[in-house]
Amino acid sequence: MPQETTPDAMEQRYAQRLKRYVAAMRNEKPDMVPIRPFVAEFTAKYAGYTSQEVSYDYEKAFAAARKCAADFDWDAVVGNMVYGWMALVKAIGLKYYAVPGIEIPADAAFQYLEPPEDDAWMRADEYDQLIEDPTGYLFNVWLPRVSTDVAAPGQPNTFRNNMSFVKGGMAMLGYFMGFGRQAELLRKESGTVSAISGILKAPFDIIADKLRGYKGLCMDMYRQPKKVLAACEALMPHLTHVALSGADPAKNVPIGLWMHRGCVPFLSPPQFEKFYWPTLKQIIETLWSKGHQTLFYAEGEWNPNLKYIAQLPDLSIVYHVDRGDIFEVHKAVGHKFCLSGGIPNDLLAFGKPDEVRACCKKVIDGVARDGGYVMDASAIMQDDTSAENLRAMTEATREYGVY
Amino acid sequence: MADEKQQEKRPPGSCVPWEEKRKEFPQIAGDEELVKRQWEEIDALGYVYIWQILLSF
Repeated sequence: MPQETTPDAMEQRYAQRLKRYVAAMRNEKPDMVPIRPFVAEFTAKYAGYTSQEVSYDYEKAFAAARKCAADFDWDAVVGNMVYGWMALVKAIGLKYYAVPGIEIPADAAFQYLEPPEDDAWMRADEYDQLIEDPTGYLFNVWLPRVSTDVAAPGQPNTFRNNMSFVKGGMAMLGYFMGFGRQAELLRKESGTVSAISGILKAPFDIIADKLRGYKGLCMDMYRQPKKVLAACEALMPHLTHVALSGADPAKNVPIGLWMHRGCVPFLSPPQFEKFYWPTLKQIIETLWSKGHQTLFYAEGEWNPNLKYIAQLPDLSIVYHVDRGDIFEVHKAVGHKFCLSGGIPNDLLAFGKPDEVRACCKKVIDGVARDGGYVMDASAIMQDDTSAENLRAMTEATREYGVY
Repeated sequence: MADEKQQEKRPPGSCVPWEEKRKEFPQIAGDEELVKRQWEEIDALGYVYIWQILLSF
């Protein structure tokens, strides 16, 4: 039956969905299981755009996300899950991406380029500079190295250097303000909640992803472990500050934490315990002490680290399960945290709708009977996700997920 | 330039702390708190820029 689309009806639907989504994240039992799919390049395919179009033109990415939110019966979505705006990347000359339509085909998702071990963005002997003054290091050493346009202090200034800061700063402001408009449009057009607010990454991941590279950091864990730990400590207050500055003032939706290198096989559990966990744990505890949940996006296989994750305060995270066994996760920490995810991406890409429905029923029966579960795929959905299967996931959740 | 010589720790949210900038004004005839607050709010935009490049791009 067609749903009402008057402003009052949309506002009512928004309020109902927000209540449902927040209740589940607080590990309570809402009226039904909320659906919050992390749809990235899927939105482009569904809305008729190329990957290049949504990664290069964020208004198209916003429009695609809104179309999916309106056409599917979803409770919450991210305003733009493709997120990395490649036009800004090129405007300031960042070197660490392969951009759709430029370095890679227009229908491919953007790629992050791991730096060569002997030519990393941060050199092995630069830890002290980073530790002493993280912000100064990023501006004076790191940014000139990762950008084709930015000149390092002491080097001849250039027109392109000056322009990179003016263009980059103004463009970034425009993009981030666009998320506010997008949240309003999602609310008004389809009564959909913006799923997260703010960004967090683990200090260790920042060093791996953007500074030393994964291989370089692996060597550093053996050759200069104290420096690695000190660098994580130095980054911690800044990452906390950035997370809080973008957090939801109403404290309804969580801060997104995107984790990359903390899981097996990138780190062993003892390495995780020593290097990855102490500072990340402190950040999450600080955010929770100020009333903000963290969306703990555990990309990969995190079950070997469950005993550490269980140390976090009750309700402090929404634990998103990717390749870990979600039933094991529920048994270990389901009494402490809301879970999300657990529907395999390969099933959504290559399975049959009936198989998707059966999987959703199994997950709902296994982990959602007492509330505290948000339906989603295991990982962010790219363009291989089948719209038919995503519709089956949605319908199955509405059918089996009513309390 | 003061920025290049500045090796003090920059606290979260700040690129050039007010305490450092304040030294450049022999006197502030009016409301110093207003000048400080506006300096810090605009300075924070520089901080947002570099940390968001690191985190989001």
